[in-house]
Amino acid sequence: MRQALERLVLALLLGSSAEAHIASNAFVSIDAAGRELQGSIELSIRDAELAVGIDADHDGKITWGELRASAPRLTQYLAEHLLLGTRGRACALQFRTLQVNDRVDGAYAWLPFTARCVLSARELDIRYTVLDGVDPSHRALLSLRAGTVVQSGVLGGARGALEFDLAAPARLSTFVAYLQAGIRHIWSGIDHLLFLLSLLLPAVLLRRHDQWLPVPSARPALLSTLKVVTAFTLAHSITLSLAALNVVRLPSRLTESVIAASIIIAALNNVFPIVTDTRARIAFAFGLLHGFGFASVLADMGLPHGARLLSLCAFNLGIEIGQLAVVLAVMPVVYWLRNDTRYRRALLPWGSVSIAAVASVWLIQRALLSGS
Amino acid sequence: MRRLAPRAGLTCGALLVCLALRAVYATPHIPAGDAEVLAELPPGTQHTSAGARELARNRLDVALPLARFYIARARASGDLRYLGYAQAALDPWLARTVSPNAAVLVLAATIQQSRHDFGAALATLAEALRLEPNDVQAWLTRATVLRVLGRYSEAASSCAHLASRADPALEMLCAQTLRALTGHLAAAYATLRDLPPQSLPSAARAWRDSELGEMAVRLGDEAAAEHWFRDGLALSPDDLYLRTAWADLLLRQGRSTQVLQLLAGYESIEPALLRIVIAQSRRADPRAARSRTLLADAFAIEQQRGDGVHRREQARFLLDVEQRPDAALVAAQENWRVQREPDDALILLRCARAAQQPAAAAPVRQFLQQQGLQDVRLEQ
Repeated sequence: MRQALERLVLALLLGSSAEAHIASNAFVSIDAAGRELQGSIELSIRDAELAVGIDADHDGKITWGELRASAPRLTQYLAEHLLLGTRGRACALQFRTLQVNDRVDGAYAWLPFTARCVLSARELDIRYTVLDGVDPSHRALLSLRAGTVVQSGVLGGARGALEFDLAAPARLSTFVAYLQAGIRHIWSGIDHLLFLLSLLLPAVLLRRHDQWLPVPSARPALLSTLKVVTAFTLAHSITLSLAALNVVRLPSRLTESVIAASIIIAALNNVFPIVTDTRARIAFAFGLLHGFGFASVLADMGLPHGARLLSLCAFNLGIEIGQLAVVLAVMPVVYWLRNDTRYRRALLPWGSVSIAAVASVWLIQRALLSGS
Repeated sequence: MRRLAPRAGLTCGALLVCLALRAVYATPHIPAGDAEVLAELPPGTQHTSAGARELARNRLDVALPLARFYIARARASGDLRYLGYAQAALDPWLARTVSPNAAVLVLAATIQQSRHDFGAALATLAEALRLEPNDVQAWLTRATVLRVLGRYSEAASSCAHLASRADPALEMLCAQTLRALTGHLAAAYATLRDLPPQSLPSAARAWRDSELGEMAVRLGDEAAAEHWFRDGLALSPDDLYLRTAWADLLLRQGRSTQVLQLLAGYESIEPALLRIVIAQSRRADPRAARSRTLLADAFAIEQQRGDGVHRREQARFLLDVEQRPDAALVAAQENWRVQREPDDALILLRCARAAQQPAAAAPVRQFLQQQGLQDVRLEQ
């Protein structure tokens, strides 16, 4: 009775705790180029022991000597349980020198291989049955590269086989998705637009003797716009990339507050001009902060494994496209309005004051009211 | 795509450099000598155990103890691989459509529950109880699953089924932990505190301590909580749940050094590593960066696998370590859809506040109000 109860409690305790190592994973990467596939498989040494038995002296420890000695059996096992084929015809796997790699959950046996396929590999079938019947939760995390296209997949359990089309760039859809996300964000991220607009509104004007004068021709307006947009783009691309790739990170309360402050500064600069000819520098300096703002959106979406760079570039491009669309829509109108004194005396100053007012509310919200 | 390439080139070039700079903590290598030990095999993971596993295919009296052994090892070590081995012992028996066995189903449900696959666990338990309506273990496991899901009244009726079938002290423990979550925290705490530990089977004593410790945390009595956690760990040093619960208390008190002492040697277990990273970051420990990379990689792997065992920890990692409140909020919301323990409510409230999205916390507030959950941490 007591024993039965203890088992009971055991089960209950197990349930209430969520503690665990990561489950059993193997890592397979394949680089496809023509008939020859270069690849590698990484199998945890613990899993390799279960598969073929490595601990020759049964002391519960696996030494490099034991692993090395069992390499022929291990490669034989893998050749039987990792099957690559093109259109039903098997590729011949040839394993090379065994090495060791350290990962989160211990040491792994790392085996590079070359697979020779009969047809040039446009479609690749992969069958994976390692640890079948021994650990049903074992999975192979697959990364498949064909040219610039990287695809990923999970093999094992109920899904022992996968088919990949190497010709169709499956990542194109990812690219489009992130591109759209970037465009959407610049449209919904009104704070970034207000900042940019504050810097662009005076681009069609010149500041002379404490007065705004219309530019005589399109050239200086175009040049000024180009400088500001380029500086802003360059700056936020840098920090967006750094943040998205986890190189640098700033607390969001800080970045969001400084973004709000940057709008106030840029807008007030139109009313009480201090910086007139070098607004591109403001665009660059604060653009760095805005990049961190973009990054938080990207962080919410996450970068897909194996296509981080592609997705990041797509997202950034999306932002540039969205931003460019706004510039192209606004600047011709503003250029056309430049000779109208109402633009210089009313629209620019009062528009800027309104922008600064909105941004001030954001600043207070973001800096003071946000508890964390 | 090609037309855009020149413009993307500059950005991507810069990014490539960044990627290359990002610390890659390991590369394949050839060890220095044959004697170098690469891995130590935990109990039951030698190839030689293949015989027992083979036997388990045809003999239920081997399959059941083997699965129980692996489940017990999973609990003691926090090693998720053991759950896979347990499942392998049960799978041939689950596949048989004729004469299904309640004990097999209950163990399968325990594995599903440990993987936070609560819906599947409930379905499996329902099947087990249909075959064996008096299965005490099935009722108890069902109560636990329903409690994690926040379905307290159903959980309470599962506990009630224990009354006539099991030890009264066990039934009381089951019922009081639920009362504590539904508006009677102080009363339930007093009842359990006054329950003599001797009246419980020895394995349940640490469980009582862990429940009392958590209740004391929710009551705001940190000194008492520490007493129960200490007591529980003395009884059951392997109890990772107790250990991390205590670590959370220490973190709340700003005692990072003690957290690192308490969790030393548990770095390979994700929930423990999470607390370690938080403590290390607070102390500006140089090991923090590496721990953070390890944990981020472990979460990334889980995500790629599609596993959701550590959703709550992931949200907390994003909030407290990565300082990405928006992403943390998404993870916490996803977690709340799956499980509703006080800690799940807490992390969602904290994320909603940090991300300045008070509306996101509405479902939690509504739940807390409906259930009458008391927790001083939620009021801060």
